[in-house]
Amino acid sequence: MDQPRTDEDQPLVARAQAGDASAFDDLVVKYSPRLYGLVYNMTSNHEDTNDMLQDVFAKAYRAINGFRGKSSFYTWIHTIAVNMTLNFLKKRGRRYHLSLDDVDASIQNDKEFIELTSTTSPVREADLGELQRRLNEAMMKLSDEHRAVVTMFHIQGMPHAEISKILGVSEGTVRSRLFYANRQLQNYLDEFRKNPVG
Amino acid sequence: MDNFDENDIGTLLRLKKYEQPPPGYFEDFLHEFHRRQRDELLRQPIWSVLWQRLSDSLFRLNIPSLTSYPAAVAAVLVCAAVVSLKVSQGPQSSGVAMIDASPVVHQSVIDQMSSERAADYLTLSSVSDGEKEMRERLALSTRSLGPDLSRQMNDSAHTHRASTPPRYVLDRLPVSYEPSFKF
Repeated sequence: MDQPRTDEDQPLVARAQAGDASAFDDLVVKYSPRLYGLVYNMTSNHEDTNDMLQDVFAKAYRAINGFRGKSSFYTWIHTIAVNMTLNFLKKRGRRYHLSLDDVDASIQNDKEFIELTSTTSPVREADLGELQRRLNEAMMKLSDEHRAVVTMFHIQGMPHAEISKILGVSEGTVRSRLFYANRQLQNYLDEFRKNPVG
Repeated sequence: MDNFDENDIGTLLRLKKYEQPPPGYFEDFLHEFHRRQRDELLRQPIWSVLWQRLSDSLFRLNIPSLTSYPAAVAAVLVCAAVVSLKVSQGPQSSGVAMIDASPVVHQSVIDQMSSERAADYLTLSSVSDGEKEMRERLALSTRSLGPDLSRQMNDSAHTHRASTPPRYVLDRLPVSYEPSFKF
């Protein structure tokens, strides 16, 4: 389980550890879009996400010499991002406002989007934009730990094993949190569908 | 009406990946990262920068991994305890050494001195105990200065006998008398 898998980032990491700043820049370019999605869906705020992401890479840069390759760089940088975001959310508490990023136009070509809006489903009956807004609100009602699991599994498409490594919990705990979070989200959205105004 | 099932939730959540930051955000992100790195370096105190570099070099030496070995930690603690014990006992032990070494010093000083001076020195040995101890300390301290300097010191001590008034010789101008500018 803990054995290091083949890490495609190893050459870049080795160069960064040897003091090659451009190698670390390459890692930033590679991981910033993915980590942005992770942090953004945990904070639901663009400004917070931007600051957090800068801090994540700054911390990774300072600690890169301590990275021993026991896990992949992918797992390592995601662990830093998740832990820092969870700490930030604890400090922020409930003082937040949703600042949603624009939905990319390429969503119109997404297979799942087409299916979702063409087939008969509760999603089709509701306004998709409004549904997304409600979904974001529902996400923010989850606990920080549950939101982290939902983000990594549903939005980032990570397997349970990877999530368990990043969070430092068992796969059973990941599955349990995911089950509970899905139930919560279903309840919130059903409530919205039955009572769209409220 | 059907309720939302887990698949619907999953699909809706997967569509959230299309929520993206403004165009050009990721291009600017790296520049912003570099700017913040520079600002952070300028803001840090010098000791913090030095400490960071030191810890980086320790990381390269893999010293943190050594601390995981209990034996190594115990050895370091024992060494630190021994060193601190020696430091705390330092003055006492040197006092013992001085008393033990005093006869040797007497002999060596006597060997180097002329017979007259040796007689004077032995005469001085009969003065009060406090003064004797003080002179022994003086003899011991001059011993470490080497034979020539020790001899000079002993000669100087000889001129300070109680029977003769002290005589001071100025062989050098005080610093304040020296001109501040030399050409």
